[in-house]
Amino acid sequence: MESRFLKELDRLRMIILEMAARTETALEKSAKAFFERDVELAEEVIRGDDAINRLEVDVDRLSLRLLALEQPMARDLRFIVGCMRIAVELERIADLAVNVARRGVFMSRRPPLPPNASLEQLATTALDMLRTVIDSFVRQNADEAREVCQMDDTADDLNVKVLKSLLDHMVKEAPAVERSVQTIIVSRCLERVADQTTNIAESVIFMVLGVNIKHHCE
Amino acid sequence: MSMLKMASTKLNFFYGGFQALSDISLEFERNRVTALIGPSGCGKSTFLRCLNRMNDLIPGTRVEGTILLDGEDIYASEMDVVTLRRRVGMVFQKPNPFPKTVFENVAYGLRVNAVRDETFIAERVEKSLRRAALWEEVKERLHQSALGLSGGQQQRLCIARALAVEPEVLLMDEPASALDPIATQKIEELIQELKKNYTIIIVTHNMQQAARVSDVTAFFYMGTLIEVNTTETLFTRPKYRQTEDYVTGRFG
Repeated sequence: MESRFLKELDRLRMIILEMAARTETALEKSAKAFFERDVELAEEVIRGDDAINRLEVDVDRLSLRLLALEQPMARDLRFIVGCMRIAVELERIADLAVNVARRGVFMSRRPPLPPNASLEQLATTALDMLRTVIDSFVRQNADEAREVCQMDDTADDLNVKVLKSLLDHMVKEAPAVERSVQTIIVSRCLERVADQTTNIAESVIFMVLGVNIKHHCE
Repeated sequence: MSMLKMASTKLNFFYGGFQALSDISLEFERNRVTALIGPSGCGKSTFLRCLNRMNDLIPGTRVEGTILLDGEDIYASEMDVVTLRRRVGMVFQKPNPFPKTVFENVAYGLRVNAVRDETFIAERVEKSLRRAALWEEVKERLHQSALGLSGGQQQRLCIARALAVEPEVLLMDEPASALDPIATQKIEELIQELKKNYTIIIVTHNMQQAARVSDVTAFFYMGTLIEVNTTETLFTRPKYRQTEDYVTGRFG
């Protein structure tokens, strides 16, 4: 018979998975809403954020209870600590998706800027990273998590490209300054998503191997 | 001075035909606390008792391999067992004060070692009680029966009694398992204090206690030593699956 503690650990895992699924959907929808000027979809993302916030609180509560009452050791301890960290990152990613969605609402009321391939690529990269890191958590696979860390450089490069292209655009088209700034914010949000995703990958590696690769400390 | 205080090499121990310990090689550094953990019957207490030859008292037992104390084989024929047990003291699971006064309990080891100087004895009793963090609580009742002390005080009295003969190594067999959480905390704090002067080896069933008090933890299973590691590593990322299963409660 599975112990009560193991059932609770599984419940913690399920909450993280639900949070991850909702965050992934929010990010995907926010990018789509921005690029396709879909206000309804953007508002759906904004409304959905509360549920993700509540799940973060659930993770906190359950983790704290397990730490206090079960005094977990070894991989169980690492799993719980890792889940607490991952929940924080997921909640931030969801906030960034809301930010992107808000820019989407703003932009939809103004004339469109020319398509920006780097920005679209950045959105795809951030989403890929999030999906891969969720898979690595589900499979508790450190190699997959390491792949995510390596993808972060691509996201950084794309963000720089977006920034450069929009600066050029602003110089040429003064009336586009406000929309360009909004788009730079979106790019910055997506680049932050990639960073938070990398943090999740580091937590997965910590859970699986027990090593802390943050800031190259081990 | 070498950091190594005690070491067992390929130690085998038999109760008649039953082999209770197989090839245990384990080193104990000076001024360190080493915790021995493992499920009931894994051999941890048997191993602890080998370290001051307490098992000699059980008929039909046999030891193979060596245990060195400062490089000397404690099972060598020239080793005097009384001297060994003075150098390697022991505290048991249940406090076992003698039906004597607090003072006489602590003085006991000195008297059986033929110390006659009463001033010396009184000084040593006070010093030992202070080291066992009991002096302040008993200084007014030194000449009353030790049986009137609380369980936690009795256990610290037993520690003071062990310290009075100035051992070098202190073996503790579940020293806090019969105590309430407050008395347990006092014993754990005391262990931290005592390690400055002694080498401590503790057997405990309470993993949180092992995690709190020890520097090094050794995991025993079915008479073998599975893993020895720094306590932090053993409880956060053990090397072997069996250790992981034991510390996470997935055993059996």
